[in-house]
Amino acid sequence: MGEPFFLILRRLRRPLLAVIGTIAISILGLANIPGIGADGNPATLGYFHAFYIMSFTATTIGLGEVPYAFSEAQRLWIIFSIYISVIAWAYALGVVFHMTRDPAFRMALARSHFAARVRRQTEPFILVIGYGQSGMVLARMLDRIGYNSVVVDPHPERVARIETQEYQRMPLFVAGDGRWPEVLVDAGVTHPQCQTMVVLAGDDDTAQAVAIGGSALNPNLRIITRARSEMAVTNLESFHGIEIVNPYETFAFNLGQDFSAPEKIRVREWLTGLPGAKRPDVLKLPAGHWVICGFGRFGHYIAQALARAGATWTAIDNNPAFSPEPSLLQKSYSQETLSEAGIEQAVGIVACTDRDAINLTAVRSARALNPDLFVAVRQMHASNASLVEATQADLRFIQAEITSHEVRQLITSPLLNRFLLALRADTGDLAQRASNQLEATVQDRVPFLWVFSCMAAYPGLREAFEYDPENSLRLGDLLVHPHDPSRSLQATALMLVRNDGEILLPESYLRLQSSDRILFAGAKGIEALQKRHYLTPSPLPLIRTGVEPPRSWVFKKLEAWRMAKR
Amino acid sequence: MLSDSPKETVLNLEKVIFGFFVILACTLNAGFFIGEIDVVYAHNATELFAALIVNIVVVILKIGDRTQIGALQMATSLAATLQLILSCLVWLWHVQISGQPMDAPTMATIVSLAGGALLANVISVVLLIGETLRNTR
Repeated sequence: MGEPFFLILRRLRRPLLAVIGTIAISILGLANIPGIGADGNPATLGYFHAFYIMSFTATTIGLGEVPYAFSEAQRLWIIFSIYISVIAWAYALGVVFHMTRDPAFRMALARSHFAARVRRQTEPFILVIGYGQSGMVLARMLDRIGYNSVVVDPHPERVARIETQEYQRMPLFVAGDGRWPEVLVDAGVTHPQCQTMVVLAGDDDTAQAVAIGGSALNPNLRIITRARSEMAVTNLESFHGIEIVNPYETFAFNLGQDFSAPEKIRVREWLTGLPGAKRPDVLKLPAGHWVICGFGRFGHYIAQALARAGATWTAIDNNPAFSPEPSLLQKSYSQETLSEAGIEQAVGIVACTDRDAINLTAVRSARALNPDLFVAVRQMHASNASLVEATQADLRFIQAEITSHEVRQLITSPLLNRFLLALRADTGDLAQRASNQLEATVQDRVPFLWVFSCMAAYPGLREAFEYDPENSLRLGDLLVHPHDPSRSLQATALMLVRNDGEILLPESYLRLQSSDRILFAGAKGIEALQKRHYLTPSPLPLIRTGVEPPRSWVFKKLEAWRMAKR
Repeated sequence: MLSDSPKETVLNLEKVIFGFFVILACTLNAGFFIGEIDVVYAHNATELFAALIVNIVVVILKIGDRTQIGALQMATSLAATLQLILSCLVWLWHVQISGQPMDAPTMATIVSLAGGALLANVISVVLLIGETLRNTR
């Protein structure tokens, strides 16, 4: 209802007036023109019969002359009425049909339909603004792991793709510009079930506007934004509660860490892979001279990362707009230029212009000159995936995949993200210790990750935290099989969060407190076993003593008596 | 990981005894209930008495259990006991206080009350099975 309803009324005002006017004139005439009654005496039809006759005459149904044969004067009036009323009807119907084909009207209708469906959402959902390549990959990934989503994109043909794509739970979608507050509100930014808003708008300016708008409309909402330019990142960082994903920086940073701190990147890849799959291999990037084709924002990030890692680089870009730099060749991507950039002595090439075709050509020319190169190539369009794959590059940068991967991590495991940030900032041997623990727990598999919350609201934990706080749960108790204390669980604690502080790789003798949250990594199914602690009777006494304690009064007495006798 | 010495899970006597009484209460109750509802000789007084006693024992065995499922089990057994007491009282009133021989309508009342108790006992058994399954998945 609402907007489209009034739009219909407004558009139909004139045709409705025309129909009502013609019918009123017809009825007025027909009711008063003299005719002949059933008994042969003169009689008029009256308003009820006139209305009845006009109703089927004007709509061209025509039941004939009822209740009895008309007089000549009445017939004359009927002829006149038919012509004017049919024209009025045709006009009104024409307007209605025209309106239903009208794009503006259809859009308004779709908007109000969408808004109503979003309002009725009873399950938690994630709002995705922007349904480009990254948005699409993200929405499908969220769908696979069981999240509902709502999608907004300014291009109608993009969101229309959702209907033809395979989804378990079809996202609600609308074509609209997220910079407009009413679009965001319709999409559920203020909805109590809206968990997170993810902004993956095409350019950074739009993304900024949407993210800031969303945070103004609902300051408590978690907002994750993709931003790639330094300016946008700095702007957004000043806003509290907006998290930023920068795929260029992530990729370049990982590249740099591969040189400088391979153990860190190893643990990172290990934890963020697909659970249950084999552990991803480390890249082992060769150190030495690198050639970068394309010196846009992404190229800049790569160059910085290489420089930080101590590698030398020469960039090539034919865009004359860039200010000259000593290691930038502003020439075409020809073999001569590649030679000039030192491709013969180089260890690797990063082809990262924003055209797939140019990247592929650059890689080919470079390989002709130096077949042993390490090749990293950027893929712009998903439709070119097979072409880029054909280069057999050692490393591919696909923005959509990196972005959606990062966002998924932020959404599904915020604690993991915290751990990874701590890992990044760590200057000690955290990576080595984490790696050892993971090796001992899951060998060469990617672990499943979960969070154990020590909430006293869980009946099984209430006992541990409220009745006997002195002797409460230890971290190690959570690593014992709750049904068979002789076995330990295939899991390891990565981080414990207590009062906003974190303890990395906590020791098993640590006593837990209420409202602690612990990030665990382990084999499949361990999470369910561990959650046994949430239920009553708590498996804690069994874990500690190997014996289930008596639960009822009679057996407690019996136990005490048996103890005394012994 | 934490254990100093290997711990063996021992047979839990409480579970055996409790399980035995819950199932016995249910079977005795069912035994009394089976048969045409108003046929006097199809329902045995001793069986009703035994069902009542076993139900009371189940309630006592659950006293003091603070777990959720334990409390629920006690509640269902209490409901069954109440129904069985009522059915015994009807019998007592008719035969001893009114001094009449047992007739079909009275027996129908007694058996239908015992039927209600049977339902509660079945729920009790289901809870027992549920708790067992939860612990040995």
